[in-house]
Amino acid sequence: MFANHCISVSLLAAGLMLGSLAAAESIPTGEPAMVHEELDRYFDASLAGGPPKDGIPSIDQPRFERADQADRWLGDDDQVIGVYRNGIARAYPQSILVWHEIVNDEFDGESIAVTYCPLTGTALGFELGDDELGVSGRLVNSNLIMYNRQSDTYWPQILAAGVKGPQKGQGLREIRVVWTDWAAWRERHPETEVLSRRTGYARNYRRDPYGGYGPKSGYYAGGGTLFPVFERRDRFGDKHEIFGFRTADLAVAIDPAVLAEAGSLRFEGDNVDFLIIHDPVLTTGWVFQGPSGSLPDNAALEDLTFSAAGPRSDALADLVEVNGFEAMWFAWYAFYPNTVVID
Amino acid sequence: MVGIDRHLVRRALPLVVGLAYGLFYLYAIGDFTLYGPPAWGAFLTDPSLDRIFSARSTLMFEAIAVIELGWLVWLVSPLNVLITGLLAGLLAANIHGVLYLRAQPAACRVRSGNSLAGAFPALFAGGACCAPSLILLLGIPGLGAVSAFFGWLVPISIVALGLSRIWQNHHGAPPMFTLLPQRKQAKNKINELEQNL
Repeated sequence: MFANHCISVSLLAAGLMLGSLAAAESIPTGEPAMVHEELDRYFDASLAGGPPKDGIPSIDQPRFERADQADRWLGDDDQVIGVYRNGIARAYPQSILVWHEIVNDEFDGESIAVTYCPLTGTALGFELGDDELGVSGRLVNSNLIMYNRQSDTYWPQILAAGVKGPQKGQGLREIRVVWTDWAAWRERHPETEVLSRRTGYARNYRRDPYGGYGPKSGYYAGGGTLFPVFERRDRFGDKHEIFGFRTADLAVAIDPAVLAEAGSLRFEGDNVDFLIIHDPVLTTGWVFQGPSGSLPDNAALEDLTFSAAGPRSDALADLVEVNGFEAMWFAWYAFYPNTVVID
Repeated sequence: MVGIDRHLVRRALPLVVGLAYGLFYLYAIGDFTLYGPPAWGAFLTDPSLDRIFSARSTLMFEAIAVIELGWLVWLVSPLNVLITGLLAGLLAANIHGVLYLRAQPAACRVRSGNSLAGAFPALFAGGACCAPSLILLLGIPGLGAVSAFFGWLVPISIVALGLSRIWQNHHGAPPMFTLLPQRKQAKNKINELEQNL
């Protein structure tokens, strides 16, 4: 009788464990964007950056302030990473993310990760599902390698593809985040929330260990890379900021000054065309793709406006948005040496 | 009079240098930062044991409180303070040993200046988030490839200072605790005075 009872309890416990395992699904994925090298090379060439796994702690329980509260400590020129999702606008100050690199957050029930690598100047957002991302402590091409806590797969941030672990070869699902300054983000999103410095960790958020962005100084201003990279090319300075986007078989880098002057650019790929629109407030680009010959001309874009979610025009309705992000030139080229450059 | 001064120097110098080293070490690992604009305040973040023992690197741990003293910001990590005390104490003991051994008659003197070299590795361990601060400071392209090695600099310093202090003891340097006021000697002196009275 006692033995039967024990077996029942054990089966119940095992069932509960299996249930909880089944409920905790790994990070959602799809087809990866361009992967130029063999996947193994990205991990084999990776280096320990110094801190151990989670030695740079992600923020897993972020708190937020109102914009007027953040105005007390955030300057107009301070860099922020902005996210607008499910009707919610949030700004993640670079001065906080430089110490944490990843924020696991939730937007009206949808879990996303906002990630930032200071050494490559890249900010990307990813869908999380039931998972979380953490900092592995390893770098490839100076770029942050993340890991997800459910399957322990390793994901270089720029590549956004699994390079080691059970989800190797899969691609993370990206969401658009915007690298801009506080004044610009606040102008576009007056009701924005701002990540609080009460992160649960003791850091000096007034100090950036690498330098500064207003104006650029230290590591961000110039000089070489700290870690070895796969490929180099002197088309721009190593730390020159470019705006880039990539698909499964194409990578394009654009000099932001050229985009700003042109207002919009068109690029013809194989069977697909791309329209890149300059955002004069956020000083970034927005990329749309459509079948060859389907892009609207400038006259059709006369009704173009910028809403909280980005560019809006009747002429964009049939196009698909492609994620784009700013990056230091050396990092973009190291991952995408076959990149097309528009300058 | 000169003898008293030398005695004082032998006692005070190790303590002063040890203290200065400790402060500089905390600065080197990023627990002390000097940065403006000045602010005043103190707050506790998460004083749990998990956080206290959470490692940022080899023998470098998370802070659990922030103290802002004008331009100086101190990220208080109990274990880092403990390790700082250990390093500073070992350095002070080494300096004491060097001074003692140098004060010996020429025939008995041994070369002991190298004992202090062990203090330097820990200062280069660094406290930045993705690369040790020395690498950032030097900015030498590709030097980050060796950054994993920087994590070993603190234990190397502790071992080097410990071994050199043992070597000094072996060559006749008095034990570390003679750095502190010798209570037993003072008590004997008082007893002696009382007996004379």
